[in-house]
Amino acid sequence: MHGLAETATGAIGYAFPNDLHVHWSLMIVLYPYITGIVAGAFIVSSLYHVFHVKALKPIARFSLVFALAFLACATLPLLNHLGHPERAFNMMLTPSPTSAMAGFGYIYSAYAIVLILEILFIYRPTLVVLKDQATGFMRTVYNVLSIGSDNLSSRSLHLDHKIISFLAGLGIPMACVLHGYVGFIFGGVKANPMWATPLMPVIFLLSACVSGIAGIIVAYMFIMKIKGRPVDLECIRTCIKYLWGFFILDFTFEMLELFSHAYMATHHWHALHELYWGPLYISFWVLQVGIFSVIPFFILTFMNLFRIGDGLVKFLAPVVSLMILFQVLLMRWNVVIGGQLMSKSERGSVIFQPQWLEKEGILPAIIIMVLPLVILYILSKVFPFWQEDDPYVSGSAASGE
Amino acid sequence: MMDAIQSEISRDRRAFIKKVLGGTIAGSLLLVIPAGAMDVPEQIPGMREQEGPFIKGKKFVFIVDITRCIGCGSCCVADKNEYQVPDGNYRTWVERYVIDDHDNVYVDSPNGGLDGYQKPRTDIPHPVRDTFFVPKLCNMCEKPSCVQVCPVGATYQTKDGFVLIDQKRCVACSYCVQACPYSVRFINPKTKTADKCTWCYHRVRKGLLPACVNVCPVQARKFGDVNDRNSEVYKILHQPHVVSVLKPGMGNKPSLHYVGLRREVV
Amino acid sequence: MQPEYKSKYNTHVIRIVLVLAVVAVVGVTVRSMVIPESFGKYGHYRADAIKDEVNRPIRNGTNAACLSCHPYIREMHLEGIHRTVSCEFCHGPVADHVKDGKVVAKLPKKQGEEIKTLCLRCHNKIIRARPKEAIKMISMPEHLEQKHVRTDHNCNQCHNVHSPMMWVLEARAIVGVEEESK
Repeated sequence: MHGLAETATGAIGYAFPNDLHVHWSLMIVLYPYITGIVAGAFIVSSLYHVFHVKALKPIARFSLVFALAFLACATLPLLNHLGHPERAFNMMLTPSPTSAMAGFGYIYSAYAIVLILEILFIYRPTLVVLKDQATGFMRTVYNVLSIGSDNLSSRSLHLDHKIISFLAGLGIPMACVLHGYVGFIFGGVKANPMWATPLMPVIFLLSACVSGIAGIIVAYMFIMKIKGRPVDLECIRTCIKYLWGFFILDFTFEMLELFSHAYMATHHWHALHELYWGPLYISFWVLQVGIFSVIPFFILTFMNLFRIGDGLVKFLAPVVSLMILFQVLLMRWNVVIGGQLMSKSERGSVIFQPQWLEKEGILPAIIIMVLPLVILYILSKVFPFWQEDDPYVSGSAASGE
Repeated sequence: MMDAIQSEISRDRRAFIKKVLGGTIAGSLLLVIPAGAMDVPEQIPGMREQEGPFIKGKKFVFIVDITRCIGCGSCCVADKNEYQVPDGNYRTWVERYVIDDHDNVYVDSPNGGLDGYQKPRTDIPHPVRDTFFVPKLCNMCEKPSCVQVCPVGATYQTKDGFVLIDQKRCVACSYCVQACPYSVRFINPKTKTADKCTWCYHRVRKGLLPACVNVCPVQARKFGDVNDRNSEVYKILHQPHVVSVLKPGMGNKPSLHYVGLRREVV
Repeated sequence: MQPEYKSKYNTHVIRIVLVLAVVAVVGVTVRSMVIPESFGKYGHYRADAIKDEVNRPIRNGTNAACLSCHPYIREMHLEGIHRTVSCEFCHGPVADHVKDGKVVAKLPKKQGEEIKTLCLRCHNKIIRARPKEAIKMISMPEHLEQKHVRTDHNCNQCHNVHSPMMWVLEARAIVGVEEESK
């Protein structure tokens, strides 16, 4: 263990002595990855709640809880990264008005409040019914979650509906701010030619949408498989359509950024060129672009342009979604770590190899990525994700409402 | 400045030693204060009379003369001693530039120059055209990126132009490390906070020159008040030398200037 | 048939608004309590942090500090060409030597090869990167051969490190020979 900064394993050319540490390593790769999934999942839900894409109804509520499970873990990599996690609240006590990072505490909290409230309002009728059925501890839980209210009158539900529309509408710009802002944390660093581009927030936002949609597809199909239930193929086809659209934009902007750097060919391009064709060759060109962008792009194009059978959709949708989830992770890696491999000496780059047992190493990264799934499992015991499991929906269906 | 002090000491050397040996410095408090345990004569005139939170009437600049630097690494040793900088992190370092007659530039800085340069580079195939050493330290920017990005107000700029770090509020997010165009910042593994050269603010406030300036045997490092028209730094900055700053395009407006800077230096 | 409800249609909304208001008030109160008092006095930082920085202990003295207690070395050092060389560069910081006016530990005196290493940090000709006019450069072991001494000699066998030419000049005076010029 090296303490705070992971030490690079070597250098090519001349790197400034202090640049031999890669300060933002796996944890800071995961942070935008997780917040991206949160923002993307929220947007899937908004497509139904705000833009009335009816086909997404089966996963609209699930997307919100899915977003919450990841949001609950979004601060973990940051806290693990900080040298003084006990001072993390300084971020909210004395946020600097000039710092791109200082907004995190407030933006994150506001977004968490909006997300939790939206879930509570959407689920309120269900929670009220579940409270009546539950006993003991779970009854208390449902009582708290339904905010002690049992009113399911049409007037009450109408009020809820208005609030839900408002929150969902508010949530879209907030999701964009949450993640666009994460992009700006990087895009605003003028000292790093790879990060310093106004395209960075756009790329982060688009890749967030992509990873969120892909995450939802994988999670939904996986849970249905386990439960032995049929997948709503109309829903999956719609998701794939949106995934295709967002991915085209995402990939285009990623390439545009690189292309404009190369075309303008400022003195920074020299360093960037060495980086992309040196230490980043495998992880950027071969993996991120070659395997995990180009192949999914063709699969998605094929799935959307041709009328393909249900069986093929069931097979290709999770495959392409997993590939895209991996693409976004690689993109985070190449931006966050790749950007630091280039020394500010402009004469060299460092080599970075993540270790398993570092404080910010591979094992903690895996734990942090598994935690949202554990939280999602726990949440599934409280919030029925699917209409079939919902006593309120099935009850009202039975009573013909 | 050193010369002035030395001549003063020489003038009344016997009396000075007597006083010191007698165990009491009865001399004026202006000249000698107990700095820690030591009795050290003032090196920056008038600093010990200063009161209040900020230095008044002086604007300090740092000048590195790369035409003088011999790459001995005294400055690095003094700096490490002054701050007990953990190994592998550098508040200041010295780079060696070697340029061959094909205009290839070779730069290195083994252990930041802390151990000096004892060996020539042997990996240069062509005849060498030019060689020089470049000491690096905090640029003490007028528009510091590190202060701009610090989310909690732990890195700040004092009214007298020093960029400092509040060790009690820093969360070690490393954003300042990323934002510094000069890579002078690091995360101190002992304190787990951001750290960097302060131009020896604590020494300057007590009337002493920065540790690295004191030890430089060839006066390649100069520190002084640019408001004082008689100071060496004023004269250097107002004479037709090749004086420049690093990465001027960054817009940080460094207060660290270089005499004889070459275009190869980044 | 509309069932009877215990709570009103908007009870939960009012409660949420109240909870959010309480959280906000508590947040603002706690925030004002835990922000350090001197924060923001001069800018967006803790003003007392300047004091903390000023109070950092000084570990390197100056040559004047060292020489004030070492009059014999002082005589030599200030007269020789090495008067600009820092005592603490070779011997270590004075803070490790004197504390609260008392000598707490001896500083290391360099011996043998250590001395040679230290000398060559400045005087090694083969480094080439040094400005020629600045200081005297030598290359080892040619220098020893040229001076007709054994090549395993250490620098301090001819040169007093505090005043490099002192012994050489004294020897010349005693023997009465001019050094052969090249």
